[in-house]
Amino acid sequence: MISKRLPTKYEPYLADGLVTLALLSWGILIVHYWHSGKLGLLIHPNYYGLTLAAGCFLLMLACLQLLKIWQRLTRPRSQHLSLLSPTGMSGIMLLAALIGLGVTPRPFTSQTALQRGLQDTTMVTRARPQVFRTSSKPESRTLLEWIRTLDVYPEPDAYKGQKVNVDGFVVYPESLPENYLTLTRFVISCCAADAYPVGLPVKLKQTRKTYAADAWLTVKGEMITETLNGQRQLVIQATDLKPIPEPDNPYYY
Amino acid sequence: MAQFGSGLTLFLSLMVEAMPFLIFGVLVSGILLLFVNERRLIALFPKHPLLGALAGSLFGFLFPVCECGNVPVARRLLIQGASAPVAIGFLLAAPTINPVVIWATWTAFPDQPEIVILRIVFSLAIATLVGWVFSSQSDLKPFLQPSIAALIPTAPVAKISESTQTSSLLQSGTFFLDQPGKPIPLDPAHLDTVLAMSTPNRKSVWDRLPLLLDNTVQELREMGGVLVLGSLLATLLQVAVPRNIILAIGQGPVSSVLAMVGLGGIISICSTVDAFFALSFASTFTSGALLAFLVFGPMFDLKSLGLLLMVFKTRAVLYIFALVCQLTVLFTLVTNLWFS
Repeated sequence: MISKRLPTKYEPYLADGLVTLALLSWGILIVHYWHSGKLGLLIHPNYYGLTLAAGCFLLMLACLQLLKIWQRLTRPRSQHLSLLSPTGMSGIMLLAALIGLGVTPRPFTSQTALQRGLQDTTMVTRARPQVFRTSSKPESRTLLEWIRTLDVYPEPDAYKGQKVNVDGFVVYPESLPENYLTLTRFVISCCAADAYPVGLPVKLKQTRKTYAADAWLTVKGEMITETLNGQRQLVIQATDLKPIPEPDNPYYY
Repeated sequence: MAQFGSGLTLFLSLMVEAMPFLIFGVLVSGILLLFVNERRLIALFPKHPLLGALAGSLFGFLFPVCECGNVPVARRLLIQGASAPVAIGFLLAAPTINPVVIWATWTAFPDQPEIVILRIVFSLAIATLVGWVFSSQSDLKPFLQPSIAALIPTAPVAKISESTQTSSLLQSGTFFLDQPGKPIPLDPAHLDTVLAMSTPNRKSVWDRLPLLLDNTVQELREMGGVLVLGSLLATLLQVAVPRNIILAIGQGPVSSVLAMVGLGGIISICSTVDAFFALSFASTFTSGALLAFLVFGPMFDLKSLGLLLMVFKTRAVLYIFALVCQLTVLFTLVTNLWFS
């Protein structure tokens, strides 16, 4: 550790300085995410207030620490039992915050959607909310409302011929033929860590290569029933596909 | 590159979501340790071993400390005359059975209330049972490190050298550690000095605030560091390990539980925020496995092992480990095999 090489009298100042910096940068990071709207990429809006309060608290704590160092009240503290030295712990926190400040977080991509089991039918541990309200008109249902409607009443034929107007991003599942893509959205209930993808296959008139993976689209069309991979399922027969900008907040809740 | 991007988003979301709960846990436990007199509370504990163990397990509601703060508090309870079932029950349950942790778990699993409820039920049951088992040992001293055993009140009052320490006792997760073998004076006057902060009228509120600041910063540093490492590991496991391997382990009713008990024991993430860590495995692991992580981790992990060994002899720590581990695996396997 660096502290070993410094004269002893500076050690407490180094440790205190480093922890102050770590707290300060975490405070700045949280407030910055809130201010720039990036917080929506990371957590559910229900927790914005809580997280912002935490950020402000960290800033206040850092100021108090600065005041304490300024007043030279600092004395060497007793030793902690920890996996790493206190200086190391502060360093780790500081480094993580600096990475967060330096690299802008991006929404999850189609690769993550596949990694998180967009195609799996075996996701046995994921519970879904039991209560939902859905728009009465099929064409005003969102992608998530379609999926939840299907969860409650899974017979695909029941929706045949209904109009569809949904948006999401493009995923190329390997299991589907060339003229299909899956229009996908992520759903979160707490934070990005529990994001899971939902999607519906879209049947195109041409190859899917026209629409790049991860591109955001509004898809209009009507529902048809097809057998894909030996499973009869609901498919969107697209009549109109329009590129749209990536929304500020890409998640459903 | 896309993997790095989603890994970073995952990592930052875990950190940002967990941070308020970490701060809350640190603040509340700091305030209680500095402002509440627990000696008066000890007198209220029931004498019956089972009830005592249960009461001790529920004591965490008043002292919401995570697994690094509970060992020093349990040790202090023992020294101040709490019975073995009370102290062991507290030791095992306090990191889980407290409002902050329950709130955080609820936040992480709003769609799966069974995780929250079973976490509480299992932790309470295990802590109470193990506390009860330890009541069969009427004299706990053979299980304790000699320096602690000497301080238990029932012992003939020993002559002990003058007090050398005052304030390091007051920092949760810190005190006692930097002075192995230095006994704390049993003389009530000295004990009072040592425990000045738990006697509300000794120091004014304003005198204690700097101590609260020190305590908060130290704990945030330590637990924040572990949180960063834990979130990093969770992210790496998600992003770097192929999904079919994770699913193969995570969907097996037995393999998933064993994997998560192992992970809970190694990762040492603070119980205030471990629910968010578990959350990142919610789509790939069985509910029983998530519960195993949430129940076992706070009771026994690498971080608390070092602390436990400063209070208990190796033999006692092994007993606690074996009992807790087996009960956790039993309960969570039953959950996996019969209820899900």
